[in-house]
Amino acid sequence: MKNIDDISELKQFENLELLAKLVVEGFITGLHKSPFHGFSVEFAEHRLYNTGESIKNIDWKLYGKTDKMFVKRYEEETNLRSRIIIDTSSSMLFPYKEKHRQTKLMFSVYCAASLIHLLRKQRDAVGLTLFSDEIELHTQTKMSSVHSGMLYGNLNQLAFGDIPLNKKSKPAELLHLISDKIHKRSLVIIFSDMFSTEDPEKLFSALQHLKHNKHEVILFHVTDKEHEAEFKYHNRPYKFIDMETGETVKLNPNEVRDYYKNSSGQFYNKLKLKCGQYKIDFIQADVKSNFKEILVPYLIKRSKLH
Amino acid sequence: MAITEVTDQNFNEIVLQSDIPVMVDLWAAWCGPCKMIHPIIDEIAQEYEGKALMVKLDVDSNKETAIKYGIRNIPTVLFIKNGELVDKQVGAVPKKKFIEKLEPIL
Repeated sequence: MKNIDDISELKQFENLELLAKLVVEGFITGLHKSPFHGFSVEFAEHRLYNTGESIKNIDWKLYGKTDKMFVKRYEEETNLRSRIIIDTSSSMLFPYKEKHRQTKLMFSVYCAASLIHLLRKQRDAVGLTLFSDEIELHTQTKMSSVHSGMLYGNLNQLAFGDIPLNKKSKPAELLHLISDKIHKRSLVIIFSDMFSTEDPEKLFSALQHLKHNKHEVILFHVTDKEHEAEFKYHNRPYKFIDMETGETVKLNPNEVRDYYKNSSGQFYNKLKLKCGQYKIDFIQADVKSNFKEILVPYLIKRSKLH
Repeated sequence: MAITEVTDQNFNEIVLQSDIPVMVDLWAAWCGPCKMIHPIIDEIAQEYEGKALMVKLDVDSNKETAIKYGIRNIPTVLFIKNGELVDKQVGAVPKKKFIEKLEPIL
């Protein structure tokens, strides 16, 4: 289970949890070193028992051997809080209704499902936020299985439910709102194509806001590289439709390719540069890329935090 | 390098009168987490040889010192400089945590 394309066979089950499990297990088996070293909940210390305290935590084995009343204390169960943020605007539905190709949204959902599975394996708490031109969902950050069941439910709906066209996105405005909503220091993982009609400077300041609130941020810039970055279309007239506004333009790709590549390249580079300046991990995620490229950066970030 | 064992009797002489900062590891034979941090303390002792002193104190046979510092949890590591308690670290934590507390008092 390496490529995102491999999972198309499993799509029929419509069960993201199963899918995420397969992806993550396959990924871990392939690693030389276990990423989980030192992550488990460990017995950390003995504390003197105070009269009146619950007796359930007393180390009875020790009491049997030495007549001492001590309580076992464990390391804090969750040492990382993470929040996965997914852009659900219509532009994420590109490549629209193409056979054998994932849409950007599907790609993000699969990656998010795998990350949730990986996070849960490490007993990290996870929350999910979905946004387009408004915050559609903002869950609590928890680590229980009921909670992750709910997250998978929401992702399932996103992946297999109907999403209307012409749903605009306002990443700049909403990232500001979201960063105000996340109170405790968290690892923030964003999946978005960052397409919007807003001023790019506003977007950069929103990213800076997240960072300013002391969050660790990973930005997966989800694109369909072949079409969106390289503009690989045949040399014949096309009708391009803006999926968020419905605006239509008739074009011959060859005529605008250079101009398009130049201006989109400029935006990517600026985004990348700003992320570098704000110490945000910027990862270019092509819809055709391997899961490993998504999960490894997260693990690297995770190990840096501890 | 073996870590020096201190007792209630020689605590004053070895720890409080030391010229360099001292890390005192309070432990007991029956405590699992204490055993987990011993190798870490050994490593730190080697790395900081001459700059800081590491000692161990068994709380079972040296109750006086444990009571004096109000130790209720073990493992606890005390950071003592010029005879005064500067900081302490409770529980089995990664090496990094000990270093973070030791570095500022060097």
